[in-house]
Amino acid sequence: MNPMIAIGAAMAVLTGVGAGIGIGLATGKAVDAIARQPEASGKIQSVFLLGIALAEATAIYGFVIAMMALFS
Amino acid sequence: MTENVEHALTLGERIKEALAFKTVFTVHVAGLSIPVTETVITTWIVMAVLIIASLLLTRRLTEVPKGAQVLVEGIVGGLNDFFKNQIGHNWRIFAPWIGTVALYLGIANLLGFFSPLPVFGFEPPFALKPPTRDINVTAALSILTILIVIVSGIAIKGVRAWLKSFVKPAPFMLPFNILEYFIRPLSLCLRLYGNILGAFIVMELLAMVAPLFLPPIASLYFDFFDGLIQAVVFTFLSTLYIAEAVE
Repeated sequence: MNPMIAIGAAMAVLTGVGAGIGIGLATGKAVDAIARQPEASGKIQSVFLLGIALAEATAIYGFVIAMMALFS
Repeated sequence: MTENVEHALTLGERIKEALAFKTVFTVHVAGLSIPVTETVITTWIVMAVLIIASLLLTRRLTEVPKGAQVLVEGIVGGLNDFFKNQIGHNWRIFAPWIGTVALYLGIANLLGFFSPLPVFGFEPPFALKPPTRDINVTAALSILTILIVIVSGIAIKGVRAWLKSFVKPAPFMLPFNILEYFIRPLSLCLRLYGNILGAFIVMELLAMVAPLFLPPIASLYFDFFDGLIQAVVFTFLSTLYIAEAVE
């Protein structure tokens, strides 16, 4: 395999850093919010789930691109 | 050094082999030959499980639920409550589609958990691989969802109100609102596909490198937890999109 392809795939997967930071921040804030207002936990949870799903998408795009570079 | 490179190559090749979609048999209809791949077979398995389970579990329903009926009522009632909360008074039209997708994804993503592992030189005769690791499956699901979003938006709001929704909240949002109809199915499709494929590759690597104790434990996280979370996220996002289209 061309080593440049492997390096490119590794760089594409670095998008996981951003997603990790984003999901961590969101989780921290969600815990904060639930601790303050436990009665609103249902609403907070649904917004939180939507937020991490969107944040995670960037990591997934990077992963899919790495897969395409490696295996096609 | 050279040995290492060779080892990595064979690992990569084995992953490549595991990732390929084997054609189980080919159907010849009217001069066309349609290849039936593993994905279709596993989808049939999931369908069979769902159909048989729903036939068995809904026989002899009683007024006061007991036994398995409690579980079934819990699942169906929970899904219906969720749709009612999110979508509002039109929820009955959409509950069958999203509920079916939720049940299908819930079982399909868990398939990898029940796959036999190659341990002690034992070669399993078959390997259950989740059908959602095929981008065609997730693409079909997300395209159907966005078609339902568009059609229900037009049918429930009316053509004029639907067209007006493109220039809300301000006219300059028009290109972004149009783009949304392409980005939403793309991200729905890639999210599910990428997550399941990622978990699948990690599990394959683990089974190759440390086949003894690690895979079953890691499978609990990668197949069970991640698979269920992704099923929930897909259901949740499609419900949200539909709710936004019909409100």
